[in-house]
Amino acid sequence: MSPLVLMLILVSLATFVAGQLLLKRAMDSTVRRGFRQRTFAFFILTGTGAMAVSYFLNLGLLQQLDLSYLYPFQGLTLIFISAAAALLLREKLTPPLIVGSLLITVGVVLVSLS
Amino acid sequence: MRMNSEPPPDSAVVDRRYRGLRSPWLQVAISTLSVAIAELFMKRGADATAHVAEEWGWTGLTTLASPLVWVGMLLTFISFITWLYAIKHLPLSVAFPASQAVHVLVPISSWLVLGELISPLRWCGIALVLAGLALVARPVAQLEEKL
Repeated sequence: MSPLVLMLILVSLATFVAGQLLLKRAMDSTVRRGFRQRTFAFFILTGTGAMAVSYFLNLGLLQQLDLSYLYPFQGLTLIFISAAAALLLREKLTPPLIVGSLLITVGVVLVSLS
Repeated sequence: MRMNSEPPPDSAVVDRRYRGLRSPWLQVAISTLSVAIAELFMKRGADATAHVAEEWGWTGLTTLASPLVWVGMLLTFISFITWLYAIKHLPLSVAFPASQAVHVLVPISSWLVLGELISPLRWCGIALVLAGLALVARPVAQLEEKL
């Protein structure tokens, strides 16, 4: 794997994690205030923008790598998303949730190594 | 009888208003399946356009020349909308691990449809992901039993 490909994968991961957090904030804001408000507009636009960047980078990478090889790298996002959800969104991580998420991550990394 | 104990949005999964199509879990499942099927279309489309304007290939934009990629994008749009609904009602730290079922679906469908091989190590990884999914889903199943 060339350094450029690795960097593109990392940028694709980072924008994906940021996008998910922004989208969650957007949807959270609609629970009490509906869709016609600035908080939703801001977070849905920035979140969708971040996801779009990640999406097209992923498409570009697909041209050079096998799907079942490239795709599992996104499994690493689970660790980042769970940590960020706990720290930034104050979600409660229960022990089964933590163990289950770690098993999934190890499984996905195994899938990506083989 | 409900007094002051209105459940927070996070516990929507145990609320009767979220049965059937409105279940955020069903929406997670639809979203995840759409992603897996979309990936197959994307890979076929990306392969077909791999030699179009190679100097711009890294942006992924040249894949738009393939109709297969547009079908993939439609499926991705469906997965996006259903995902937004799901995370409105579920914590991200629960919905996201559940969506990782895609890492079981993609290698298996790549094997079945695209003819890509699955090594023994990869099968072990798939088994671990399944075990993790069972653990993540368990607290929710217990919550539902209490109703």
